Parts: sequence; C-alpha cells; structure tokens
Amino acid sequence: MNAISSVGILRTNFQFCQVIIPLALFGLIAVATILKPSFLSLNNIQDILTQAAPLALVVLGQAFVILVRGLDLSVASLMASSAVLATAFNATSDAMIPVIFAATVLVSACVGLINGMLVTKRNVSPFLATLAMMIVLQGVRFYYTQGAPYGSLPEGFRFLGVGRIAGIPVNICAFCVCFCFLCWLLHKSSFGRMIYITGGNPTSAKLVGINADRVTIFCYVISSVMAGIAGLFLVGFVGTVDNWVGRGYEIDAIVACVLGGIMLTGGKGTLWGAATGALILILIFNVVIILGLPVQAQLIIKGIIIIVIAALFSRANEP
Amino acid sequence: MIKLERISKGFPGVKSLDDVDFEASAGEIHALLGENGAGKSTLIKTIAGVYIADNGVIYFDGKKCRWSSPKQAKDSGIHVIYQELMLFPELSIAENIFVGSAPLTRLGTINYRLMYERADEILNKLGHKLDPKSLIKDLSIADQQMVEIAKSLVGDVKLLVLDEPTAVISGRESEILFDRMKILRNEGICIIYISHRLEEIFSIADRVTVLKDGKFVGCHKVKELSHDLLVGMMVGRELSDIFPKKKFPSFEAAPVLTVRNLLALPKVKDVSFDLYAGEILGLAGLVGAGRSEVAHAVFGSTTRSDGAVTLGGVPLDVPSPRESIDQGLGFLTEDRKGEGLMMLLDASVNITAPMLSEFTTIIGLDRSREKQAAEDEIRRYRIAVPYPGFDVNKLSGGNQQKILFGRWTRACRRVLILDEPTRGVDVGAKVEIYEIIRKLADEGLGILVISSDLPEIVGLCTRVLVMREGQITGEVNGTDINEELIMKYATAAKKAPSVSVT
Repeated sequence: MNAISSVGILRTNFQFCQVIIPLALFGLIAVATILKPSFLSLNNIQDILTQAAPLALVVLGQAFVILVRGLDLSVASLMASSAVLATAFNATSDAMIPVIFAATVLVSACVGLINGMLVTKRNVSPFLATLAMMIVLQGVRFYYTQGAPYGSLPEGFRFLGVGRIAGIPVNICAFCVCFCFLCWLLHKSSFGRMIYITGGNPTSAKLVGINADRVTIFCYVISSVMAGIAGLFLVGFVGTVDNWVGRGYEIDAIVACVLGGIMLTGGKGTLWGAATGALILILIFNVVIILGLPVQAQLIIKGIIIIVIAALFSRANEP
Repeated sequence: MIKLERISKGFPGVKSLDDVDFEASAGEIHALLGENGAGKSTLIKTIAGVYIADNGVIYFDGKKCRWSSPKQAKDSGIHVIYQELMLFPELSIAENIFVGSAPLTRLGTINYRLMYERADEILNKLGHKLDPKSLIKDLSIADQQMVEIAKSLVGDVKLLVLDEPTAVISGRESEILFDRMKILRNEGICIIYISHRLEEIFSIADRVTVLKDGKFVGCHKVKELSHDLLVGMMVGRELSDIFPKKKFPSFEAAPVLTVRNLLALPKVKDVSFDLYAGEILGLAGLVGAGRSEVAHAVFGSTTRSDGAVTLGGVPLDVPSPRESIDQGLGFLTEDRKGEGLMMLLDASVNITAPMLSEFTTIIGLDRSREKQAAEDEIRRYRIAVPYPGFDVNKLSGGNQQKILFGRWTRACRRVLILDEPTRGVDVGAKVEIYEIIRKLADEGLGILVISSDLPEIVGLCTRVLVMREGQITGEVNGTDINEELIMKYATAAKKAPSVSVT
C-alpha cells in the first residue's frame, strides 16, 4: 500500500513537471525579453542555441542512462578526452575529420561499454562506476598531455562550431539529426520500449524475456558516444583544446534531464523534455548575464535548482 | 484494553477498512480472522500507528488515543510482530532483545554482562531455553519469533499482536508457540492473533473477530462457534459459489510439461512432476518450502544446477525467460509490484511486454496494432481501465492482476504458471480470476497454481503436489484433496509413499 501511494505522488510530480516545464521556458523567455528587448532577435536566439547544442547532445545521452535508473558522471571527462584525442592525430588536412570522428565514436563506445558492464554484470552503483571512469579518463588525459594539450586540429574543425549549412549553424543541424534519430529509437522502435520497460522495473523486464543487462549497457554506450561527439563540437565552438573542455557538463546534463521531467527513479520521461530542460538551463545562464550578475551566480543558481529538485524527490519518496 | 470504533481507512482506489469496530481485553487471546484482502493487516497497522485512520476513534487502556507514529504506539505498550521479522541476523539474541535500550555501564558503554543476564531472565519467563549469546542467523524461524516476543517483554507490553506467525513454522513449532502465548495471556497481556487457519483458532483463541472486504462481520466467543459457521462468516457465501466446477483432464495424451530431477540449490532439491494439457495442478506447501523457486527454475529466471524440463515435447536445455516464452510458457509471478508490473507505465505497455516482436515492423513498433491487442485483453477480462494508455498504478489490486492475466494469456500457448494468483485482491475479483483460470484450462492450457491459500488450492485444483524443504513430499488426487492431508504432507518429515512419478 505504501508503494502505491508513494508512486502516486511521484506520478503527480511527473504531471506537475509536464505542465511546469513549458511554463518555465516561456517564463524565462518573457523575463529575458523584458530585461533586454533584443533578446528575441534572430541573432541572439541563434547564439543561444549554438551555445546550447553541445550540452543538449550530452543531455540526450544522459536521458537514456537515467531512464534505465542509472547516472553517467563520466560524460564531461569523456568530452575533454575526446577533444584531446582529436588533437592527438595532429592532422592538418580536413580529410582527417571523418577519421577523427570515427576514432572518437569508437573510444567513447568502449567507455560506455565498460560503464554498462560494471553496472549490470558487477552490480556496481552507477554513481561509483561512472565516477571512477571520470577519474580514470582524467588521469589518462593528463598523462598523455603532460599538463598542456598540444597538437593541432584541421582548419575545418572550426566549421563544426561556427559554420553554417543553409544559414543554420552546423552544431544545431547536428543536434537535430541526433535528436530525430534518438527520438525514433526511444519513442518509436521496439528497442526504445525495452528501455522503458527495463527502467520501469528491471526485474519484470527480465521476466518478460527482455535482456535487461544488454539494454542498460546500450544506454550507457549511447550516453558515452553522445558525450564524445559533443566534445568535438564544443572544441569546434571554443576553438581551442584544453584539459577541461566541457567541465561541469555532467552535472548540467543531469540537472537538465531532471528539469525536463525525466525521473531519476527510471522509466518515465521523454527526449522532448530532456531537450527542453537543456534549453531552460542555458536560458537561466543567459538571464544571469543579462541581469549583469557575476558568472559565479550561475553556480549558485544551479546548486539551488539541484537542492530544490532533490528535496521534491525525497518528499515524493515518503510513504 | 483496546477498543476501535467505526474505523475507516482508504487507499487510492481501495477502501481497506470501512466502519470497523474491534475490541479486545486484557488476558485474552483474540483472533482476527478474514481472507486475504479482508483488511486484517490494515487494521493492525492502524493499531500499531503505522497508518492513521481516516475516521473513527481508538481507545487504549481506557484513554482516547491518536498515534501519529509507530513509536508512540510502542511506547504506550503495543508490540506488533509482523511476518517478516525485524531482527538483525548478525547480532546476538541479547543484542536484538535490547536493541535501542541496552543497559549501560557507568562509562556509557554497553554492559554486556548485565544484558546477557537480563536476556536470560526474559527468555526464562517465556519458558524458552536459548543461549542469549547465539546469533540470530543461526536460529530457526520459530526461535527467531520467540526472540521477537522476548523483545516485546523488555518494555511494558500490554498488547501483543502476532501477524500470521504459523505461516512460516511447522505444526510442532506452532504448539510450542501456543504454549508461550498462553503463558503471556495468563500474565494479563492482551494478544491479538491473526491467522486464517481455523483449527488453530479453535485450539487457542478465546474470542474471534471476523473481517470481510474491509467490513466488520462479527465478534464471538470461540466456544459458541462451529467450524462451518466460522467459514460462512469469513467467506460470506458457500464455497461452491466461489470456485468453478472442477473438470478432470485427459491423462492419455503426453504431458505438456515434464520436469525431471530439477535441482536449483539451495531451495529446490530434486523435484519431478508432470503437467497435462487442460489440468489445474496445485503446488502447495509452507512459505519457504521452495515452490516459487521451482517455478523460477522451470521458467529459466534462475539458473538450475541440474534436471531436465520439457515443454510440449521440446526440451528447454538453455533456460531463459525469452526461450520459455517463445516455447509457450508463461509465468505470473507472486510479487505483483516487484516482479510483475511496471507500475509507472500504462496498461497497454504492461500487457504487450513479453510479445514486443509481434508488433515490431521495420519502421518501429506498430502502435495501433499494439493498442488493439491491449484493448482485446481489456475487454476479454473486463478490466476496469478507462483506456489502454492508462497507468496501472491507479488500478485496484484485482484489476492489476487481470492486466497480468491479459499479458500472459496472450503470450503463452502451452503452460501457465500462476504464483499466488489472488494475493491481495478482493473476493469479487477472486471469483473472476478463478473463472479465468478454469476457462484457460478448458481451452487446453496446462496450469500450475502455487498458493499458500489452502481453500484456494482445494477448491480449484484437480491434483495437488505438496512441497516441503525443496522436495515434493506428497501428491493428492481428486476427491482426496483436503486441507488436513495437504498440511500433513507439508509438515511431514519423510517422503510420503503415495508419490508416483509416471
């Protein structure tokens, strides 16, 4: 009976989220426009979306992991590592870009595979497994760069961050492609259904003949690959590689997912929600700047959001 | 001692207690009787302060009370012993008895010498000989129950509630428990005893209160009651109205499921049986006898160490749930919320989960066909769900169970294993579920019913296997099926001679 009522409250929270998220989004846009009328200009909107794209890529991946009751803390470290990996080729020709992409996807997939194996086969808590992975990746990166990254990227790399296809920034295009594919995978394919079933109740999933371990591992692989790709786009956007590209993105990604209504208890939430969550977070950061507050205020606000959400969830878990 | 007036308690979708009166006095053993889902557990949890009643008044020891936490109830002298014991297996008996109230030395550390002495005193008072230094995990379940009772004696216990203590222990151990209960009663403690075993109630209780569907049915002195009268009060109708008419299958065709020398340690030790198409075979035994474990080992959801399973002539050599489902085996598990439903997902998803491949096309899931399938099941079993996209956590227990029936009858073609199919559903839904089971058997499925509810086994099955400690200790057929014989095998030490595996 306890289970029913607490689940009921969680559910109410979820519906609450579905209403409150779009409202928050419009509210933020309204506030920003009042404070700074030029906010709604096409240029500014494009700037914000371009800025949001790498985070949104990571958020999409993180959503998969959270849906199967997991958590991926290694994404930010993996972003930086994929950036360093890209420079390691020391390529000068644009022809190397596909090779760099392939290598990044491959390495990221391996990282996700290890995360997933640890969580499913060894029953390590997702928090610890991915935290350890984050540290290991950081160590490998530092060992390789000896402190300061060197090596160069092909000229064409900048195109990923600042270029345009038919007037639309490349990284927004990339996000749209990933978003459409992942939406199909999660919301239309039978594999996506297996993800929801596994996240909804891993024990039942096994008993209805779903290989819950394999589904979970695959979600970690998606998260890692998205992080790897996001790392490359972020490098293209920032223009330089350093050891801390994407620092803090793991927390941002989790916060965005939760803001977007993906429940940490698994099995509930959509990619639309996750993407909206990412946009809200970026807008909050923007409003901070428009208000003329110091950048550090972003951290304070982020922290407060986490506390509020955590408090809401612990309430929900009481009988 | 305790008096409840017009207590009501509801949960989303169910009214667990409806205007219930209850009263028990000091120095009596008061039995609380009712079928599964009658509201017994809710009533004692209300007494224990776990639940707060929506309506009604509780008087305890002459005073009007309103507990807002279990601790308050405990402090005023109410001690509840639940079926799942609240003991720390790695600690000693004495440490468990004095948990949270250990005697201290002047330095503020635990005074172990005094603690052992006082634990010994309490156990002696109960007339139970145990070494207070031994660890809980080394004790039998019956002895662990004694430690729970001893725990209650540390404080000033006035009311002791025992929730189905005999469901997990053998007949001889029950006798010992009853002796201890009488000792406590004679000391003036009020004991509320919950059980659905009628014989026990006649041998130990002074008075009995019967609940049914969350309502008070009656309170009588046990001496003034007969067995039949009590059954009538509990069930509210004749047994023949509840269970569909039994039909015997043809044993001439080859069995649809054969299990040979199944071994899945530690709980399943050498189990063999046959199941025929159209048969409703019961698997009875005490809690912990290994019945669910047999089902899991057959289905492939736990690894089996040895043995052979054949389904419709096909050996299941590489057991896995996927393989079993593909071969036409379904398994409706015991724990509806933990192992059955995805509570936060909708009815349609829950129904089609084992058969996703049926709806998979090259461009993804065929939602409309899936919805159609879910609607078919919802109509077939008259599930009270407004539309297929409705979340299952808002449904009543009976409807949730019917969702699972929809899921598994869709997926399974040969054999359906049902583990406690009517646990936690109301009597109305129970009758419907029994009809469904009968109909499925008539359609040619072989059905294995695991149940702790003996009247259910007796009323439903045409053949019953009885398990004890991981082995089949007896088989009862046709008109021989009765509760006494099943209990005899369930508690028997040796393998009964009547077992025949053909």
